[in-house]
Amino acid sequence: MALTRSVLDALERIVGPDGVVSTPEGRLVYECDMHTFYKGAPDVVALPGSTEQVEAIVRLCRRERVPIVPRGSGTGLIGGAMAAAGGVMVGMNRMDRILEVDLPNRCATVEPGLINLWLTKAVQDRGYFFAPDPSSQMVSSIGGNVSTNAGGPHCLKYGITVNHVLGLEVVTGAGERVQLGGTVVDRPGYDVLGVTVGAEGTFGLVTAITVRLLHVPEAVKTVLASFTSIERASEAVSGIIAAGIIPAALEMLDELMIQAIEAGIGAGYPKGAAAVLLIELDGPTAEVDSQAERAAAICRERGALDVRVARDDAERALLWKGRKEAAGAVGRLAPTYLLQDAVVPRSKLPAIMREVLAIGERHRVQIANVFHAGDGNLHPLILYDDRRPGELERAKAANEELLRACIAMGGTVTGEHGVGIDKAKNLPLQYGEADLNFMYRLRGVFDPDRLMNPGKLLPSHPACSEGFRPARPHLPEGAWI
Amino acid sequence: MVVAGRAVGGVLAAIVGRERLREDDAARAGAAVDGVVPRFVVRPGSLEQVSGVVALAHDAGLAVVPRGSGSSLELGRPPVRVDVVLDLGDLDQVLEWSPDDLTVSVQAGVTAGALARRLATRRQLLPVDPPGAATRTLGGLVATGASGPSRARYGTLRDLLLGVRFVQADGAVTWGGAKVVKSVSGYDVPKLMVGALGTLGLLVELTFRLHPMPESEATWLVRCRDAAGAQRFVDALLGSVIQPTRVELLNSAVLDACALPAGAAAVAVAIGTVEAAVRAQGEALVRVARGTGAEAAPETRGFWEAYARAFETAGGARLRVATLVSAVGATLLEVERAVGDLAPGNEPRVGGCAAVGTLHVALAGIGPAPAQALVERLRGFVAPRGGSVVVEAGPRALREAVDPWGPVAPGPFALMRKLKDEFDPGRVLNPGRFVGGL
Repeated sequence: MALTRSVLDALERIVGPDGVVSTPEGRLVYECDMHTFYKGAPDVVALPGSTEQVEAIVRLCRRERVPIVPRGSGTGLIGGAMAAAGGVMVGMNRMDRILEVDLPNRCATVEPGLINLWLTKAVQDRGYFFAPDPSSQMVSSIGGNVSTNAGGPHCLKYGITVNHVLGLEVVTGAGERVQLGGTVVDRPGYDVLGVTVGAEGTFGLVTAITVRLLHVPEAVKTVLASFTSIERASEAVSGIIAAGIIPAALEMLDELMIQAIEAGIGAGYPKGAAAVLLIELDGPTAEVDSQAERAAAICRERGALDVRVARDDAERALLWKGRKEAAGAVGRLAPTYLLQDAVVPRSKLPAIMREVLAIGERHRVQIANVFHAGDGNLHPLILYDDRRPGELERAKAANEELLRACIAMGGTVTGEHGVGIDKAKNLPLQYGEADLNFMYRLRGVFDPDRLMNPGKLLPSHPACSEGFRPARPHLPEGAWI
Repeated sequence: MVVAGRAVGGVLAAIVGRERLREDDAARAGAAVDGVVPRFVVRPGSLEQVSGVVALAHDAGLAVVPRGSGSSLELGRPPVRVDVVLDLGDLDQVLEWSPDDLTVSVQAGVTAGALARRLATRRQLLPVDPPGAATRTLGGLVATGASGPSRARYGTLRDLLLGVRFVQADGAVTWGGAKVVKSVSGYDVPKLMVGALGTLGLLVELTFRLHPMPESEATWLVRCRDAAGAQRFVDALLGSVIQPTRVELLNSAVLDACALPAGAAAVAVAIGTVEAAVRAQGEALVRVARGTGAEAAPETRGFWEAYARAFETAGGARLRVATLVSAVGATLLEVERAVGDLAPGNEPRVGGCAAVGTLHVALAGIGPAPAQALVERLRGFVAPRGGSVVVEAGPRALREAVDPWGPVAPGPFALMRKLKDEFDPGRVLNPGRFVGGL
């Protein structure tokens, strides 16, 4: 849809001429997020600098019935920050201030465009950090983290973004500015705050965020163990959890991924290993020492080829560098890939990895694996070359089959990336009609005109535009009057 | 559609079976909520039966009040309508426990104590420990948003509830969340159900994240000169590398109730981890205490049981005061002063999680008028900083004199009302008892 001149003029009056991107080449920059499959340039991009400007934009768009698509750094992996139906994209990048650091209450209030890592950098010399650590944390915004309820390697111990958000200022789809939660916890009433985190912009635009800050742990230890098979490594994961150890992070890389990383940046992973476990423990020194020793012993008992403890921060950083740049390293194996984010109960890891292998063979695609083994969150990268006819189709087929296999094992379609446009169609694998109906109506409470990030998070119903029909029980025949 | 009482009874009996329906005076009186006697007491035996009962109530315009162990019926506004009391006590099965995944799915009527006994066989725990938790049902604990000392380390049920199967106001059986420890597929519906008193859906099945039981745990009682000294210690503790499992600030009346030597204020700190670390951190704790002018000494095993009993309130009242972490000491002092001014002679037991800023205040019998004045004064103290005061328990007259939830800001409340209007327009589910009369 093309916007009228008067809408563009009104936007310019709100955010100023330098806050509007309307040229075709300018808008092209915003046509997709990191999931480059899904492309849709907005009709215009607005870059507000204040909550007042955000409110004015939402009111204008409501009046004109124009869709709104929020965007942070555009590092999402689900096609969440692209304009599927055109409209106004609201880039939050100019709202990137730290509004308050309140160490006595161990929290900070920030604007949504603030880069995740910058917050930790601002408080680490005083002994604090912001726990959610998606691999994109050097570039992704905290507003984006909130909208997708982002995870990261260390959420095994520390929880995902919602566990760290104390308050939000939101301009809802109805154009109302509301303050949800705040520094003090236990507010009476429904947990509107909790359900707004992870709403992927479908409830409204987040304009300020109060997050919990944690005290840095006394000690950190990283253990690297290599195994001859994924099964062995998975058994070690189960053994560690069964021993009552919850590492800060527990990551696994498979053979193909190890090769790609070594060929790329050379992280010092042992060659020839079929699986590598990266185990990070943090906390009080005595606890970390004892648990690192036990985790290493468990790995040896499960037949590890090699168990190493990073000797210093430099080696630790190198071990992590490989993991964090895994997605980039596969560029050496194939020009492109599909990245999956499904979850299985962690006890099903060996079974799902056998299935992944079988699926790859069946569809004749290579699948490299890097994942958060501690919580069963898979990240298979299904490699393909889109210049070769048929490869993309085979990759897509493998992707869908993989999702179904995860759901069949009791899992979920997305562990930390979110639904966006990419997985909206997959939700019915996991939820029934009544469940989707509830979510559809929930969205309407915050966004009555359904203008906020349309086409994301929920599937459109095949049969009717009114949403999903709830399944009501059949009542026995009674003496109705 | 209007249905005559007798006819409703017939349909209810057809849904749940005669033996699960009580219409006699004794059973009805026994299930009264704040003196309001229901027409029917139903004890369903399955998810399908809950769904059927709610669907019938929906069509017949009846109000359904869910009941677990019945321990928290004093939470909330006195009800206006109670037609059906739905007792979930027979839904007491652990549906699926996967120790390797650290998850468990239970029916809502399972008690926290029964689950804890099972989980202990594999050294796992669901860390929810408000007073009386052992005999309370998990459905009730979730619906009332209950929390205890362990929240300092593990968070609350909000952080532990992964998935929930509930019955919507029209009877539709609905699932939200996931059965795995990590999922962001769709909205985080379980969050909406925690602390909602069943007003958006009746909770029938719950899936929780579990934690491994620490290898060893020890408790220290840190005696402080006064509330300000306690605040200094709490600030120093939370600003250190010590990782406690429980950090409870408590006053002299609680020390007294626990049969401990008198003192102005104290902080009970538990540390749970591997044995060597418990020892090392305990030593660090003693140093931190000394550095702030307090004295830490090891406490005996029975402390936490005695502490929980100190907040049982037969005939009295209990408040939950949420305040800033940096103001817990000042808030404790203000509670003592306010009670001294407004209800002299009433020795309030004050204690709560200093790591998050939530205090509980147990009061002996207190009249509606002084209680109202007390709650309003405390709200005046904590509200400017975003705090709240909730009447967790107390006689009906007290909760008629003062809104037990207190005010909710207009913006969030408008959303809450819209949620209730959307999901329960006919006000079938526990009507009138939640914030703002939702």
